[in-house]
Amino acid sequence: MLSPAMPVSRRPLLGLGCAIGALLLALATDAGAQARPERGLRHVDPRWHALTDATVVVRPGEVLEQATVVVRDGVIVAVGTDVVAPDGARIWDCTGLTIYAGLVEAYLEVDAPEPDPELPGRHWNNLVVPQRSALDGEGASAKLRKELRKLGFTAAAISPAGGLFRGKGAVVALSDGVDAVHGATAEVLVRDVYQTGGFDTQAFNWGSNSSGARYPTSEMGAIALMRQTLADADWHAACEAVYAAHPTRHEPPVPDDALSALARGGAALLFDARNELQALRAIDIAGEFKRPLVLLGSGTSFRRLDAIAAADVTVVAPVDFPEAPKVATLAEAERVSLRALMTWEQAPTNPRRLAAAGVDVVLTTHRLEKRADFHGKLRKAIEHGLDADAALAMVTTRPAAMLGLDDRLGQVAPGMLAHLVVVDGELFDEESEIRDVWVGGRRYEIKAGSGADHDGAWTISVSRLGTQLDVETTLTIDAGKTISFEARDDAAKARQVKLGEQEISFLLDGEDLGEQGVFAFSGVIEGDSMSGLVFGTHGRWGWSAVRQPAEPADDEPTDEPDDDGDDDGDGETESSDVPGELVTPLGAYGQSAMPPQESVLIEHATVWTASDAGIIEDGAVLVRDGKIAYVGPSRGALHARADRVIDGSGMHVTPGLIDCHSHTGMSAVNEAGQRVTAEVRARDVIDPDDINWYRQLAGGLTAANQLHGSANAVGGQNSVVKLRWGARHPRDMLLDGAPEGIKFALGENPKRVAANMNVSDEYPQTRMGVATLIRDRLSAGRDYAAEWARYEQLRPAEMAAVMPPRRDLELEAMGEIVDGTRLIHSHSYRQDEILSLCRIAQEFGVTIGTFQHVLEGYKVAETIAETALGGSTFSDWWAYKFEVIDAIPFNAAIMQEVGVTVSINSDSSEHARRLNTEAAKSVKYGGMAPHDALKLVTLNPAIQLAVADRIGSLEDGKDGDVVLWSGSPLSYTSRCEATFVDGRQLFSRERDRELRDAAAAERSRIIQKLIANKKSKKSKDDEAADAAVASGDPEDADQPLAGRDRWSDMEWSSGAMDPGDCGCDVLFQGAGSAGTGRTDAHDHASDR
Amino acid sequence: MKHDITLFLIAAVALTAASLGAQDLLPKAAPQQGPIAVVGGTIHTVSNGTLENGTLLFEGGVITAVLPGAMDTAALPAGTEVIDARDKHLFPGFVCAASILGLTEVGAVDMTLDHNEAGSFTPEVVAAVAVNPDSWLIPVTRRNGVLTCGVMPTGGRVSGRASVLQLDGWTTEQMAVEWDAGLVVSWPRIRQPGDDDKTTLTEQLQPLDDLFDGAAAYLAARRHDPDLPTDLRYEAMSTVLAGERPLFINASRVRQIETAVLWAVEREMRPVIIGGHGAAACLDLLRRHDVGVAVTSAHRLPSRRDLSFAEPYELPGLLEQAGVRWCLSMSTYGTSNARNLPYEAAACIGYGLAPDVALRSVTLAAAEVLGVDDRLGSLDAGKLATFFVADGDPFELSTTIERAYIGGRAIALRDKQTELDAKYREKYRQLGLISGTR
Repeated sequence: MLSPAMPVSRRPLLGLGCAIGALLLALATDAGAQARPERGLRHVDPRWHALTDATVVVRPGEVLEQATVVVRDGVIVAVGTDVVAPDGARIWDCTGLTIYAGLVEAYLEVDAPEPDPELPGRHWNNLVVPQRSALDGEGASAKLRKELRKLGFTAAAISPAGGLFRGKGAVVALSDGVDAVHGATAEVLVRDVYQTGGFDTQAFNWGSNSSGARYPTSEMGAIALMRQTLADADWHAACEAVYAAHPTRHEPPVPDDALSALARGGAALLFDARNELQALRAIDIAGEFKRPLVLLGSGTSFRRLDAIAAADVTVVAPVDFPEAPKVATLAEAERVSLRALMTWEQAPTNPRRLAAAGVDVVLTTHRLEKRADFHGKLRKAIEHGLDADAALAMVTTRPAAMLGLDDRLGQVAPGMLAHLVVVDGELFDEESEIRDVWVGGRRYEIKAGSGADHDGAWTISVSRLGTQLDVETTLTIDAGKTISFEARDDAAKARQVKLGEQEISFLLDGEDLGEQGVFAFSGVIEGDSMSGLVFGTHGRWGWSAVRQPAEPADDEPTDEPDDDGDDDGDGETESSDVPGELVTPLGAYGQSAMPPQESVLIEHATVWTASDAGIIEDGAVLVRDGKIAYVGPSRGALHARADRVIDGSGMHVTPGLIDCHSHTGMSAVNEAGQRVTAEVRARDVIDPDDINWYRQLAGGLTAANQLHGSANAVGGQNSVVKLRWGARHPRDMLLDGAPEGIKFALGENPKRVAANMNVSDEYPQTRMGVATLIRDRLSAGRDYAAEWARYEQLRPAEMAAVMPPRRDLELEAMGEIVDGTRLIHSHSYRQDEILSLCRIAQEFGVTIGTFQHVLEGYKVAETIAETALGGSTFSDWWAYKFEVIDAIPFNAAIMQEVGVTVSINSDSSEHARRLNTEAAKSVKYGGMAPHDALKLVTLNPAIQLAVADRIGSLEDGKDGDVVLWSGSPLSYTSRCEATFVDGRQLFSRERDRELRDAAAAERSRIIQKLIANKKSKKSKDDEAADAAVASGDPEDADQPLAGRDRWSDMEWSSGAMDPGDCGCDVLFQGAGSAGTGRTDAHDHASDR
Repeated sequence: MKHDITLFLIAAVALTAASLGAQDLLPKAAPQQGPIAVVGGTIHTVSNGTLENGTLLFEGGVITAVLPGAMDTAALPAGTEVIDARDKHLFPGFVCAASILGLTEVGAVDMTLDHNEAGSFTPEVVAAVAVNPDSWLIPVTRRNGVLTCGVMPTGGRVSGRASVLQLDGWTTEQMAVEWDAGLVVSWPRIRQPGDDDKTTLTEQLQPLDDLFDGAAAYLAARRHDPDLPTDLRYEAMSTVLAGERPLFINASRVRQIETAVLWAVEREMRPVIIGGHGAAACLDLLRRHDVGVAVTSAHRLPSRRDLSFAEPYELPGLLEQAGVRWCLSMSTYGTSNARNLPYEAAACIGYGLAPDVALRSVTLAAAEVLGVDDRLGSLDAGKLATFFVADGDPFELSTTIERAYIGGRAIALRDKQTELDAKYREKYRQLGLISGTR
């Protein structure tokens, strides 16, 4: 039996060339390659092939039957049904086979060495190595190339691994090097195809470097450093331009390889986004600095599909769909959130959903624990609704286009490089096998056409010395590995079967067949006949066998899927029962759509206005178009203006509560890598999926001040958000128009962090040093702002002739503080440090937004009153650290009496659920009037954040942020009944009940689906993962762990933390709102 | 550098102790001299309903009578001091079942902490030994009506023995209601399917089995052979092994609670679950074995994303409905604000817990869990006169506690915090920024 993928003729082709052939042979040398003088005889190996009688998929959706592909010197020269194989070409009979364009891998991670420290322009931060190239090291290893070829890939974009800016990618052919004999094309197809970035931090222990090695420790810091670096690249280019135009009167710019590599106008940025929120963050960075962007997706894009689709980027999507969660026992099931269950169920729809949303999708083998699973996973995506032609495009034409190679790769068409895949069926069919892969002119046999197929029934006869014995039995070979015998009434199974392409050997126990001893068979196979020798107890005989004609199959093979819809046989159900509509955030309590802005009237309630109107008995509040339209006594006439009327009899209404110190919904809280981190921004890491948002809505909270932690004397920038649970994009949470601010931190926390940095003399380690560092950076900010002001006053001609000042994100923020456009929110405890910051602020003419915590504020209240918008404190926390030994619950009341605007905050995702009763403690401790106490968590924090024109009280024209309570908001026995944000009802007891029930039902449905599979068969990749873990192979085991986090992200973070998860909690964690999951309030307390 | 910091901390602690009053500077209450009658108030007995216009009579630190209706003062014993409590409410002092009160001062300063002895198995240590009667935290706690605390060592597997203390006394001995209230165990996490840790339940419990088997064998041998050398660890376990005192087991996850109960019941001990957040999933087991549960805190986040936001508030109601013996407590780590205990109970009232049950859950039910309900937890004749008088419902923040008695001793309702309040109000009076006194 001939392999179709073997030449029809084994006659040597050398010397057969006709005149034309000879002419072309002259080009067989690699174009443009060096030519070393021949030694000895010339070698002439023609690179001229014709693949005949094939089904050719020219490009997705365009198929030719009985067609021929002619390849010459690595390039396709003809494709068509009427193309005749030219004389002289090697003929490859492809009858029954299908030819596809070679697949293109858009992202293949490879190791690359760090740049030579001797070269100029090495970046100060060792995570920033954009000047590096994927070609600096080994590139795609032989192992990787082979692995990918087996899957049908013929070219790959390789990218350096590790870092923030990781270096340049390059496209290489997956051939085994430039090879004169086999004539592969030159290996590198494109240099500098993209620049790869990713949110790596020092927490990943990447590399080791002395100075600056610890920054950034958080995603927030990583984003800041990326932004600064891109700004620096633009600045560097601007300086070079100035120098080019005006080479006199200044020194030439210092050459900088790192910054030059990131210049605008260069290759696109490819961002390695490990989850869908990182994808959105990458989009923001690229947009801000006007760099074209490609996203290396996480496979979870469908959880934020609309926001990602709106960005109009190419997504390189992985297909490493998560393992089926284990839910067979109650304990197992309880560990799995509905979010994780939904993610499992929906993950295979990700490519389809992205494509349907108009995203340019390219598929990658990256992130697969085992690359060999690629086709299986791709099939799963197709079963989940991805169009097969679209899928083919996602691995051929689309990656080719993304890499700028659509004129050379991705199609089987004249002029294209001869990158081909030869398959014995449809490429994505589970039964199909890839026979050959062609890279340039070189053919790589993946699987021989005939070799393995010895299956069938054979009639075997044994002879001794020419004497035919009366042994005629049937031998059956099954699945290429088992051999069974049937002789008369006996049956036996062979042991130690070895079946090669042409060899066979096995042992047969004689007693199974009524004989003695063991018979050892060995022989050769030639198509449908076998022959050889057999040893037994009585010597040796010859044997031979002939394959019996195959019985005609009873049942026609069918292309239709099985009735059970389990097409891929992995026991998992297919797309038909996967819900189409997704909720946001995915999981329990998610919204299928943002609720509408209602025209809603609450009447006959006790209305706490938090305004001069005080408390109105039998009051009414009307909200229309997201704004408050009426507050006052109940009046029948109001009904006409409302679509919905709520009878608030016996109930109370307040403005939405505001938390002036929150770390809820932040993917990172502290950037602990530097003592001044004014450049980092909380708003870069808003996590709208944090379940605590919903829980806090259920406690009447509608807005929060997301603060950086207290690791640094000067921390990061804050963000003021509304609790818009279900918002489409993280930035939709922002309270637009809220003045920007920044976190400062005084006292023990910044001291402790500096002392623990293991850097000698890390400044500051005393309160003296903290104050001085702040003064230093404020003056630097003032100088910076002045320098820019001078520059911007230059006339255009002057400006063109001088080097522009550098944009410094840290000093920019410090300058804004001095300008009065950025509010300071300072973590503080002791009166001395509070006073000290007040004096510094006065020295710079700055108004402080808030002192946070400010537990000794009652000792210097008169100074706070004249220097800050207010003090934001805890109700009664104390005794958790030394600097709070004088904390008293009367603090709020005393400060208020002396003239400070006071708020009560949570600094805790749990306390934020009950700020109303936290505020009420000021009635108990200090005798505050109840209405004033409510202002501690409504109007006063709004004043402190300078957003009192928008929120904080129930007054006409303010935002429709309204809470309905079952009783007095100052009583622990009252419940929050409903919460409106912008006039949208984002929480109500009834709606919550519906969502609870819906979540329970959805959980049951998916869990049933998981446990209904009686086979409980593990998918192959599950087994592989288990094996990897069991084998303790660290390389194999690492990847699935990281993967699991991605699929069930943040599950553990929303868990059982005791009150208080102040960001300082994660000082040394670097990454994440995730926090530490500690349940130890002793630790918690020390965070504050 | 580290050395410097240590020196700094030592110096700082010393400085504070000297200048700011690291301890409560107020004298302790004098013993009750003669009989006292609190007359005319609403008496919330907890055990026997509410008496309007009642009289509470106590003498020698013990309640001698709780009488309904108007009282003829002539009927009182000669020399009875009469306290007018018209429009006031009388409640038994709140009991915080689990705390580290007196064993902690400043959470972040190790040298002020005495609740966690080194080693995994330290049954021999007992909390009362190390309680500082002059801790700042004590007067702050009792000012809000929390007059009794269970004090429990933490850490390791067997942490030590709990004590029950009233929050007044010149010495720990005077404070103690129960010196050796039971043994505190921190239950192992218990492997869940899918955990990386593959140890079996038996393996995980082996160290505990070894200790308790060893103790039982030792105690039996010691009965027959008094000359056997003393083992303080095993001696410390005798009351618990005999079922005389409870075994306090810190356990919150379902599997922890289940395995802990079955283990302790099989050994014929009296388990009390401290924590109990997962108790809703094993109600039947808890009721069947009459296991007490001290739920540590209603003010916590649900442990899983899918759970209702209200799950922590709803758990007490579920336990009550199922007939489980339970109380509410602060967690030991919440000790510095143990004063907020009543609000933990109040927060559940909107979520299915009746107000009288909520009150019981932080008084009598907590005393039961600690095994001191014969002396504390309700206003009944024969119990200690440990109670307070308030101008309203103590679950409400608008309510003021006006008087409090511990064992009949009238305690001061002042503390460092009220002193600092007064001190700095004086500052602002001097500056003319505020007027009058409050």
